[in-house]
Amino acid sequence: MKPAGRGTLTAGARAALWALPLAAALAAFCIGRIAVSPAQLFAALRGEGETVVAITLFRLRLPRILLSLLVGAGLAAAGVAFQALFANPLATPDTLGVASGASFGAALGILLRFGMTGIQLTALTMGAAAVALTWLGAAGRRARGLSSVVLSGIMIGSLFTALVSFVKYTADAESQLPAITYFLMGSMQSASWRTLAFGAPPVLAGCAVLWALRWRLNLLPLTEDEARAAGVNLMQLRAAVVAAATLITASCVSMCGQVGWVGLLVPHLCRLRFGENHLSLLPASLCVGAAFLTLVDTAARSISAAEIPISILTALAGAPLFILLMRRTALEGGAS
Amino acid sequence: MILRVENAAFAYRGQKPLFQNVSFSVASGEVLAVLGPNGAGKTTLLRAMTGMLPLAEGRTTLDGRDIRTMSARALWQRIAYVPQARTAAAPFTVLESVLLGRSGRIPLFGAPAAADVAAAEATLDSLGIGPLRDKRCRELSGGEMQMVLIARALAADPAVLILDEPESNLDFRNQLLVLDTVSRLAREGVACIFNTHYPDHALRRADRALLLHHGEAAVGPAAEIVTEAAIARAFGVRAAVGGIETAETTVPGVVALSVLDPSKAPSEAPDARVLAAVAVILTDAADAAAVNAVLHAHRGQIRGRMGLPVREYGLSVIHLTADGTRAELGALTDALSRLPGVRVKAARMPLSPDDPEA
Repeated sequence: MKPAGRGTLTAGARAALWALPLAAALAAFCIGRIAVSPAQLFAALRGEGETVVAITLFRLRLPRILLSLLVGAGLAAAGVAFQALFANPLATPDTLGVASGASFGAALGILLRFGMTGIQLTALTMGAAAVALTWLGAAGRRARGLSSVVLSGIMIGSLFTALVSFVKYTADAESQLPAITYFLMGSMQSASWRTLAFGAPPVLAGCAVLWALRWRLNLLPLTEDEARAAGVNLMQLRAAVVAAATLITASCVSMCGQVGWVGLLVPHLCRLRFGENHLSLLPASLCVGAAFLTLVDTAARSISAAEIPISILTALAGAPLFILLMRRTALEGGAS
Repeated sequence: MILRVENAAFAYRGQKPLFQNVSFSVASGEVLAVLGPNGAGKTTLLRAMTGMLPLAEGRTTLDGRDIRTMSARALWQRIAYVPQARTAAAPFTVLESVLLGRSGRIPLFGAPAAADVAAAEATLDSLGIGPLRDKRCRELSGGEMQMVLIARALAADPAVLILDEPESNLDFRNQLLVLDTVSRLAREGVACIFNTHYPDHALRRADRALLLHHGEAAVGPAAEIVTEAAIARAFGVRAAVGGIETAETTVPGVVALSVLDPSKAPSEAPDARVLAAVAVILTDAADAAAVNAVLHAHRGQIRGRMGLPVREYGLSVIHLTADGTRAELGALTDALSRLPGVRVKAARMPLSPDDPEA
């Protein structure tokens, strides 16, 4: 299936991509400790059937499914944005230290016994602060463009990782330390309408900006001169993309802790099928990311009696898949 | 359309000027070659004249309007820039790459429309690389990639095409293909400026040449700029400039003979003044007013003048004695030679026996 001339998705591909998260959501509704058949699900949608089923579906599973769809789509889109920004296939939403900053904020919120909203707020703030520090660290007369931004991001990331360790060290070992550790391992357990009310708007806004700029993302790998000669202000474009991707990542971490691999694996999976043009790559990554994380979360809460932290599962699934992908692309692309 | 660079100077922060007093102009359908050895500042000149780097002095105008007063969008719809082909090309297909060149015409939150795709495809076809349409750029050869970069620049339908060493790193055949493309675009009315280290390419392909050396620029008709003496001075190479006879015609060419010993090379400070005799030949005496205006603008260099009509040939000749730096004299003769119906011959004085220009 070749992408159409303009790089947009064909109608068939678009339908298939939209069907993916819907199918994943349907599966997530039905699978779990209380198994629900599709017939029961549709009965509950009509307002019929048992109350237990209705409560399970709408009060527990629906916010959780929405959260995993949102976070999956958001992290995949942020991954696409960062990979385009750095013209580097290994760039992830944490390259600028966003996730480390947000994790520190969340840990701090738990330590200070803030409520869920407070934790979300500190996580968002610290995520943004980490990016600002990274940007400042890379700016200056002797800076060498994007490579110094990446180096600065690594430094700021490890700085905030150290701060997270410090918070853990000072936390109460009986209650707070497990809470922090468990939160940072990533889980959709905190999903509720309140979490979504506060955390969804930044993710949606960031995704909307990236969506609107999706064709312009193609200009990011160009050199400054080339972009300028194409009539594009590269600095403004970069700033908009960084702001959008930061907003998404920080808000995702604030809702469900660190969920690794989605921002790396999903864009690569989509590149293989839909090419490098962001007109098709971004929509595809949004859909596949949403479906992927929803399925992983469903597995996380149904495989065993106790819930498995989601980043363990994404890593267990992600690492082998990524190696497989890498071997395939190396073979197909003639090892470029 | 005419692009003029007036008294341009550029210096990197805290360093002495890389070049100064650079003046030249290029009109629709003309090819100007910017010639000079490595490090002479050719690429910097191209970047500074288009505003990618700030000029320390001087300005660039497009049809009389300072480009710094134009919006980036308006400017880059008229000027296109082709960078040196990089090996690590963007991962897109050829068509996707060429579409990027139309960014200035696509709304901020938009995507290329059918008309943009049609324009990009037409550009690919006009350059003869239509069959590469769906190939990935990283699978292309160096020559193909250079053509794609030219296509990307042309997709915006520019009036001025600026190419940074379009033929370096290419093999014999691809050099010819790229240079032929430049010549053809000029015939179609595009003003082309290209950088090159090859005196041969400047001599054969360009209408006019700009030789950049030691921060000074000599500008003029290519045959007057690309001389054995100039090559010796700028490149430190003894070369033969002459014609090569083919079955159909005689083509001008440059053959490098040997590397000159730098200790014996005539060294000349960039601000050294030279004396020159200039003959300005007018086919129509009515053009004298325009010549006088140019002479007035360059009055600092004019030491003496004498005009006399040669009635039996229907010509007027103005003899000038001028002195100034090479760049100043170059600017003077260039300005004169651009007047319609005017031909200019200049010779440096005095010529000693060991002078390379003798």
